[in-house]
Amino acid sequence: MRHLAAELGAAALAAPGGARLERGDLAALGPGRAVPAGAVVAFCLSDPAALIRGVVALDGHAGAMLLLSGALAREAAEALIARAGAGVLVTDRADLAPGCATVGIADAAVAGGVRAGDAQTRWLLTTSGTTGLPKIVAHTLGSLSRSVYRFGGQAAPVWGLVYDPTRFAGMQVTLQALIGGGTLVAADTHLPLAEQVAALAGAGVTHLSATPTLWRRLLMVPGIGALALKQATLGGEIADQTVLDAVARAFPGARVTHIYASTEAGVGFSVNDGQAGFPADYLNAAPGGVRLKLADDMLWLKPPVMAPQTGGATVEIDAEGYVRSGDLVRIEDGRIHFLGRENGLINVGGVKIYPETVENVVKTVPGVALVQVSAKKNPLTGTLVLAEVALAPGAEAERVRRAIQETCRAALVREAVPAIIRFVDGFETNAAGKLVRITKGAA
Amino acid sequence: MNELEQSIRQVFAQVWAQEKGSAAPELTPDTVLLESGLDSLGFAIFVSSLDEELGFDPFTLSEDAFYPQTFAEFVAFYEKYRPKA
Repeated sequence: MRHLAAELGAAALAAPGGARLERGDLAALGPGRAVPAGAVVAFCLSDPAALIRGVVALDGHAGAMLLLSGALAREAAEALIARAGAGVLVTDRADLAPGCATVGIADAAVAGGVRAGDAQTRWLLTTSGTTGLPKIVAHTLGSLSRSVYRFGGQAAPVWGLVYDPTRFAGMQVTLQALIGGGTLVAADTHLPLAEQVAALAGAGVTHLSATPTLWRRLLMVPGIGALALKQATLGGEIADQTVLDAVARAFPGARVTHIYASTEAGVGFSVNDGQAGFPADYLNAAPGGVRLKLADDMLWLKPPVMAPQTGGATVEIDAEGYVRSGDLVRIEDGRIHFLGRENGLINVGGVKIYPETVENVVKTVPGVALVQVSAKKNPLTGTLVLAEVALAPGAEAERVRRAIQETCRAALVREAVPAIIRFVDGFETNAAGKLVRITKGAA
Repeated sequence: MNELEQSIRQVFAQVWAQEKGSAAPELTPDTVLLESGLDSLGFAIFVSSLDEELGFDPFTLSEDAFYPQTFAEFVAFYEKYRPKA
């Protein structure tokens, strides 16, 4: 695969209330003089359309592009810029003071800018961890756009971008539109959601992809019916029947698709029948040449082509080439339903949290004798973090509650801060040596 | 204002203080919940805190896929699914 500007389909980029760039305008974008060939370039932009212009201009020229969310806290942004060894920062924020050259998007992406050769630029995306600093994961344009579907001219969709394009899911939508063809409408995520929806509707958006958490939120926006969707896609979290039904009811003309993706196996597939889970028939034949099998409620997947492993994660592969997904499932009425992660990983609106990490922080709070962190089901975000706490003798519950919140807020990402703190009288251990909560007198 | 609505307002104020560190804005029947200033995580915490306080969660009990938009709709939704004594 060549650089992004050379791979553009019949694409256009529209910012609501802003300029529209046609395919020719996008294809003409190249590096400004401020960006030396082979440089590691960090982007930290609050305007998603500016970020997209930047990656189109610099892919094939920069050695690497580090995509940071424009909403990232200053300390975290500066730490990641240093960790990636960036030589240039492209930003529209005034508060960042990294130890490298800083330029605006107008100096980084210019019409008629000329790439030095056609380098294989590394795309550095971040994933949020449980603790403060996000992890950097390296991709290539090829690995990010593997699932892009190329539309023919007439049927070109209008994609609404409501995800942050610096995140994996948001970049997938972006590349689908840019390479697959279609108009990408980037919502201004700083505006209230109702105004974003009105802008997307005004721009004629037909295709929208969001997490179940974001869909539930969108469905609470008055005027959501103004979106005339042909395609509604849910991904990144388990889609339950309620949210699938609600999306189908809100958009009667739309095909409703939910996506299962395994980062472990580097594959995924989509389900279009509007039912939660996926057909048990997929065990015989799954879409996209992926092969599936179950063992002890664990889903194993065999990709058609084994993906290169990134991020240093160790995956378990059996003798037949199946990858252990870590996702627990249950067969019921001919469907395979997802139950959650085997290691107790808690998914709060798409952010994955290790309970042990949260427990280790809560344990440091004076007055806490014992703590157990688990997932509490939530109808809006799938799950929330629940901390059950046994107090040390003499400790005062309300004071400890506030201390837990303050300590966790300083040490953890917001999603990992216990949303619900419940005080219990004590824990006992079961035969497996696992803590069991004593329910009497829970506050 | 009945007892249920009072509890809902009280929990809203608690969650607001916890998440935003300030006094909660006034909720009128027409307040659009999304525009109250709580983001989606804050709103999720609000619903789970109500579950802890009231012992039920209409979003989970409800058979039909409904997402209330205004505060009045929200209270009516809780009223409808409140367990009968």
